[in-house]
Amino acid sequence: MNRWRTTWTLAVTVALLFTACSGGATAVPAAPSPTTGGPAAAATGGAPAPAATPSSQPLRIGWLSEPDTMNPLTTYSTEAVEVLQLVYDKLLDYDLNLKPEPELATGYAYSSDGKSITYQLRTGVLWQDGQPLTADDVAYTYNLIHDNNLGQYAQFLTDLTSVQTPDPSTVVLNFSAPQAFDPALVIPIVPKHIWSKMNAKAIESYANDTPIGSGPFKFVQWQKGASLTLARNGGWWGRPLPAPATVTWILYGNSDVMGQALRSGEVDIIPQVPPTVYDGLTGAPDIKTLALPSFSFHHIGFNVSTNPKSGGNPLLRQLAVRQALEYAVDRNQLVQLCLAGHGEPGDTIVPAGLTDWHLAIPASQQLNNDPAKAKQILDAAGYTVRDSSGVRQAPNGAKLEFRLIAIATTDEDVCAAHLFQNAAAAVGIKLDLQTLDTNTLGNTVYNSSAPNWDIFVWGWDSGTPDPSYMLGVPLCSQIGGNNDVYYCDKQYDALYNQQATTLDPVARKAITDQMQQMYYQNAAYLIMWYQDKLQAYRTDTWTNWTPVPGGLMFNFTRDNYLHIRPAH
Amino acid sequence: MAAVAIVDEQDRSSLAAVRANIGLAWADPIGRVGFFLLALTFLVALVGPVLFPFNPADVGATAASILQPPTAQHWLGTDELGRDVFRETISGSQISLLVGLLATAISMLAGTVVGLGAGYSRGPIGALMMRITDFFLVLPTLPLIIVLAAIIGQSLSVIILVIGLTSWASTARIVRSQVLSLRERVFIDRVRALGATDLRITVVHILPNVLPLIFANTVLVIAGSILSEATLAFLGLGDPVHVSWGTMLHYAFEVGAAGRGAWWYLLPPGIGIVVVVLGFTLIGYTLDRIVNPRLRNR
Amino acid sequence: MPRLRYLLTKLGQVLVTLLAVVTFNFYLFHVLPGDPIRLLARAGNLQPEDIARLRQLFGLDQSLPVQYLVYLRDLATGNLGMSLTYRQPVSDILAQRIVNTVELLTVATVLVVVIGIVAGVVAAARRGTRADAGTVIVSLFFWSLPTFWTGLMLIFILGVYFHAFPISGSGTPGVFYTSPIAQLEDFLPHLVLPSLTLVLVDIGQFVLITRSSLIDVLTEDFILTAKAKGLSARQVLWRHGVPNAMLPVVTTSALYVSLVVGGAIQVETVFSWPGMGRLIYDAVLRRDYPLIEASFLLFAVTVILVNFVSDLLYLWIDPRVRNA
Repeated sequence: MNRWRTTWTLAVTVALLFTACSGGATAVPAAPSPTTGGPAAAATGGAPAPAATPSSQPLRIGWLSEPDTMNPLTTYSTEAVEVLQLVYDKLLDYDLNLKPEPELATGYAYSSDGKSITYQLRTGVLWQDGQPLTADDVAYTYNLIHDNNLGQYAQFLTDLTSVQTPDPSTVVLNFSAPQAFDPALVIPIVPKHIWSKMNAKAIESYANDTPIGSGPFKFVQWQKGASLTLARNGGWWGRPLPAPATVTWILYGNSDVMGQALRSGEVDIIPQVPPTVYDGLTGAPDIKTLALPSFSFHHIGFNVSTNPKSGGNPLLRQLAVRQALEYAVDRNQLVQLCLAGHGEPGDTIVPAGLTDWHLAIPASQQLNNDPAKAKQILDAAGYTVRDSSGVRQAPNGAKLEFRLIAIATTDEDVCAAHLFQNAAAAVGIKLDLQTLDTNTLGNTVYNSSAPNWDIFVWGWDSGTPDPSYMLGVPLCSQIGGNNDVYYCDKQYDALYNQQATTLDPVARKAITDQMQQMYYQNAAYLIMWYQDKLQAYRTDTWTNWTPVPGGLMFNFTRDNYLHIRPAH
Repeated sequence: MAAVAIVDEQDRSSLAAVRANIGLAWADPIGRVGFFLLALTFLVALVGPVLFPFNPADVGATAASILQPPTAQHWLGTDELGRDVFRETISGSQISLLVGLLATAISMLAGTVVGLGAGYSRGPIGALMMRITDFFLVLPTLPLIIVLAAIIGQSLSVIILVIGLTSWASTARIVRSQVLSLRERVFIDRVRALGATDLRITVVHILPNVLPLIFANTVLVIAGSILSEATLAFLGLGDPVHVSWGTMLHYAFEVGAAGRGAWWYLLPPGIGIVVVVLGFTLIGYTLDRIVNPRLRNR
Repeated sequence: MPRLRYLLTKLGQVLVTLLAVVTFNFYLFHVLPGDPIRLLARAGNLQPEDIARLRQLFGLDQSLPVQYLVYLRDLATGNLGMSLTYRQPVSDILAQRIVNTVELLTVATVLVVVIGIVAGVVAAARRGTRADAGTVIVSLFFWSLPTFWTGLMLIFILGVYFHAFPISGSGTPGVFYTSPIAQLEDFLPHLVLPSLTLVLVDIGQFVLITRSSLIDVLTEDFILTAKAKGLSARQVLWRHGVPNAMLPVVTTSALYVSLVVGGAIQVETVFSWPGMGRLIYDAVLRRDYPLIEASFLLFAVTVILVNFVSDLLYLWIDPRVRNA
């Protein structure tokens, strides 16, 4: 549900970070190293893998929903990305510290103007069908995505101008502007000799039922509605080979049953556990439960569109009304009841998991849990209760009554919606709740030509471990793209462009702090919580799990799959 | 044996017939158990919320209050929001009963009208109505209900409408076959010869004779409607705002009550459903035997 | 040739009913929601030109009657559309899932029919005794159980508490079976709880119908004749009573199918059984309309066909029709 939101982006502009300079460490991945167009810099990062020898033991993982397709270039589901990241390799990847590490590329270098990146490819890499992997495959993949605006990775290649392959082991990506975020970290490489047989139209509906990649695991079978299995790829270029002989994801219809399956040993790990089931598993024999910070939040969004065709209630455009709603809510209560305590109350748009960048609003300045203040604000703005309904009205009779929508199958959102209703009612605002399926809610909210809704409950996962991603959501230019509340503030946009070109981390943080403060005060989002990533795993089957912010699995790195060892 | 109260040509007081049937049902041991169960249910539904009101906004304070076992403070423990399950169950009885009764009202109305029409009209109209009835009889109920809920929406009124619209056919068929046999009776010819219109005949002369049968069928339809609402709510297609027993079980399933051993959340709503449905079923079964002469001697 | 005439009449009726169901389906999914393209477009990110293309493809720029004909043509060629969730032809998905439901329902139905009829016969034979009254009450009690709750209780008691049986799926996932026997050994324990749920909930109906039908038959004259001839009570019961009592039971079977389809949806959801019931439930949750539409049609057609088969059985065993 969350990564899916990144696909609504049409153009995420994270460019404009110039190279030139002091190797000051920034939190931006693939920070361009100082260069004069010279020798390739070896990608750093990644702790050396401990000796995991290939085993005959299977790894079994439980999940609650399945991939939509095995086509890595057209998928929109996090489950598909999770599976396919093991079947396909990328040029670079994230390690267990969420820093870039080499994968198909052993090194890379930026040109002096920062607009070109040259990658040195590993030699002797074979596709899982035995064919050799060369720079042609890389070029084919990047061109395919860019030329056809294909799938969720197209947003990272909007500035791509050309791809060169001077020799079979070298690839040069040329962009029209320097790229702060290196797309090599996310784009899987597909085999040209298989995919080029289809035209672009065919690829869009290509199911890719037996995916062939170059990664550490190869596809075995997918019994839809039941389980999906990969097996270790003995011909993988990486050493040591991963320990699990097979990786199987098993679909459960219900999280409780999934928890039972972990207890009974039917699965080894469940990487995304709902809070109440998680609590039920804590202390169970041979089971370890682990809560890790995530790069995600759930929020309430207010329709602040100034589009004359907008069907949103215009009263929400008043800051007083939105701030009153913020004060009405007790975020701590939301965390306690909807997440069973597994999370932090939310404030600013950069998730707390991004510890270097998150701005924590001091308690005294928080727009949180002060119903008296909320009532004060509403009184001052002229909204008072005039009849027995208890709902405040403006002098002209306009009632503070809004439509609230949430996704029916996201339990924590429905929980939050109910509590939000209660909180709003306590200060004299009426919210009419309707629960919808994911697609309907998405289409309702993102109907940018005429958004006909008032308030929604939803969530975001940050697409990259860099603040630019989330900060870039409320941009004016993102209306029609990621900007789900139709917020537009020229000053905010200017600051965004500024921070995107500021290399000095201290100076950059000053700007991003200011942006977070501004957006918080303008209360277009009510960020409810930063949820923990909850997982549970057996201690008697696999060991050497490395805790990483963002979770053991379903994270930017795949390295836990590669580092675990049998427990015996 | 027990006298069977069927309205004959002279006695048109069908309400008396219904009343007599109820008396007979009470006399039957199985029927009596049903009455007790229903009395219990209605007592809980009417008096319960007054004595033990449930406030959906009365949530727990911290995570520690979630899914707690019964204590002196919460007789049936708490749910996933820390709310009192005992009061929630009592409150749920109202929603479950309300939906069941209203849906049945729609169903009975539609079924009776169509059944009367199909039975009494000769010719193509009657045949068409019968065909439509048979068609709806053959459509599988639960798939139809969930499809309609998905397409039309999930508010309480939609649910009532949808359940009503999918359960009228069995009533229509029963009414129709009874009307068919009544139609041939001598006294109908006499009344028609006296100049009564078809409508008058149907409403004044035929309907009263069908009433006891309709009544027996209604009771069983109520049982079915309550089950349908519970199933719909359990599948997550119920009204998100009003908590019925089915909704409680939906959330119990979602938050892992079974794995947590939270029997206090799983048992009460389920037992509530069983008690109500069993009550109506027992009475309906008894009435069925009373009204249907072929089953008389059991 | 009353038999042949009966057969042909029934066949004609079935065809008309099938056409009616298909038309009803069209109404439900193409007319009622207003704009089916709006439904399809909900999957997200369809550009205006894609929407126009879809409109043309589905003939939605045509009038309603033409759309209906396009719809019929698609059905006749087996084109059930593309699932929005799986991006695969719906027919492929249905084919994978239907086997699992058939397995589950076959086992459950056989058990229900056999146990139900035997219990009904025993109860009828002991009419008036405590055992009989007990059977009736127990049957009515089981009839009143919500299917999904019964499944939850079985999970709770037999699965979680006693660890007696697996509580989800149709087999241990991700396992490769060495032989069909091995697969069966894994399959059977998984079958127990779901089929037990269905049996408990549906058995009451069969017990009661058999009982009342048999009691009816046992009061008929030819039974007295058989007894006078000196046949034992057991012979009278099983050789003369039961076969003649089966007619209403067969008729009820048709109604049972409609019920059991609803039961399958609930049981498959609760036990994560990968069949048609769970498929339509998941599809409804996600509003995957092409999948919902095809699943519903499949359920309806199945019920109609089973009714037809039971009508044929009626033809076979009804002495009046047989001997006319």
